[in-house]
Amino acid sequence: MKDVVVSGMGMVTPVGCSAGEVWGAMCEGRSGIGRPEAGSLLDGSVEVAAFGPAIEPESVLSGPEARVVDRYIVMALRAAADALADAGIEVGRDVDPYRIGVILSGTGGLATLEAQVVTRTQRGRLGVSPYLLPGMLPNMGAARVAIRHGIRGYSSSIATACAAGAQSVGEGLRLLRAGEADVVVAGCSEAPLFPTLADTFGNARALARGWADDPTGASRPFDRRRNGLVLGEGAGVLVLERAEHADARGAAGYASVLGWGATNDAHHPTTPHPEGEGAAACMRLALADAGLEPADIGYVNAHGTSTKIGDRAEALAIRRVFGPDTPPVSGTKAVTGHMLGASGVVESAVAVLALRRGLLPPTYNLDDPDPACDLDHIRKSPRPAPHIGQVMSNSFGFGGHNVSLVYGLPGTRLSRAV
Amino acid sequence: MSTGTGITDEIRAFVLGSLTEMNYSVAGVDDDTPLGPAGVDLESLSLAELGIRVEERFGVMFEEDEAELLGTMTVGEFGAALAARIAAAPAAGQ
Repeated sequence: MKDVVVSGMGMVTPVGCSAGEVWGAMCEGRSGIGRPEAGSLLDGSVEVAAFGPAIEPESVLSGPEARVVDRYIVMALRAAADALADAGIEVGRDVDPYRIGVILSGTGGLATLEAQVVTRTQRGRLGVSPYLLPGMLPNMGAARVAIRHGIRGYSSSIATACAAGAQSVGEGLRLLRAGEADVVVAGCSEAPLFPTLADTFGNARALARGWADDPTGASRPFDRRRNGLVLGEGAGVLVLERAEHADARGAAGYASVLGWGATNDAHHPTTPHPEGEGAAACMRLALADAGLEPADIGYVNAHGTSTKIGDRAEALAIRRVFGPDTPPVSGTKAVTGHMLGASGVVESAVAVLALRRGLLPPTYNLDDPDPACDLDHIRKSPRPAPHIGQVMSNSFGFGGHNVSLVYGLPGTRLSRAV
Repeated sequence: MSTGTGITDEIRAFVLGSLTEMNYSVAGVDDDTPLGPAGVDLESLSLAELGIRVEERFGVMFEEDEAELLGTMTVGEFGAALAARIAAAPAAGQ
């Protein structure tokens, strides 16, 4: 029995910090996108962004350590603690410390590096904090989660840009199937809302423009008027567990992770393959890994970033895989913005909630579907789907990294109420 | 300030101010309070930061092997060591 289940969820997003809040926002079209505060660091760099909730660093770290620590680490610690609590897991009591791993990914704390570069420019060598590296390195989310919870098994961080979160789940699945762990804390945290990063996205013409007067309309996956992504911040963490292990401790699973696929476009550093070739291959691999046919998928949570070329390539890829009868599709970045790698984990949670609730969240703002993105779009309001069986979540990143994940009903004896 | 280590108000204020800025609680901290685990509880990076604050403010340095020793000192002992270091390098810092 190699079944792997999701036994806990934790998230920090622009639309809330609990599964219920996030789900509600997606179904009711409650957007997390707004204008940066006048005079703030981001004012002038972006018209609109998706800001996560304020979290005091001191709430997750000791005072001295909380002083020079990136927001990505703070959000990662919060989401991981919530996910472990949601799973009812205390390391040492419910799982052997050497049989639990953590894969926590992301771009790292570049905002903190940026701030230190400014300080160094102003004050010289002695302005640079000795706490910089533990406060910003991309592996420090995983390290801090390990330290805080006493996780002594496998640990790593994956740097595949916007595919990193989904890939963390996939690699967690691989570890658990191989029997190398009983539990894996898998997730991603991203804090990209600082000037240098926003400016390079903006100068690359990747950001939605012209929405300052209508911020909640800025992110509109698959819509004819879409013109770029909306940068967002957030973290998502799933507790993955061998079903046998969950059964043995009497824990209920939300869903089973049935399979995953990973490919690379091998095409361009930032632009997806125009026909979505790598993405299509990725979805096929995920289906094969799950032992499913395309017709077995009842919902696809699309990567759908609201860029012209990205959404079109994904729509073509979905068509290539699923043929004329594509499953219902939605892109929930319409309300969360693009939380980069963290999106894949939050959207996995959303796909799982859709599966379990028999209700598919819509693509908010999809007023006028682009004919080049010809799919069975869920629009305006959630669509009831009582017997959807299995669901897929797609994540594609700069670098041509593609990851697809497939979830189904939980293989544990007990099924988690949602 | 019971031990009468004779450290100056300026140095004491610098040490307590640094600890405060580094997010350590200085409530109840006096010259007899150890900088290490039994007292303020500075760890390796915070001792390093105290070192660079000393260098930035007074222009004197504690070498790496001395930094470990700082962790065994009290606030008063550290202040006295710092005062001695400043006195030995009169041209530095100001």
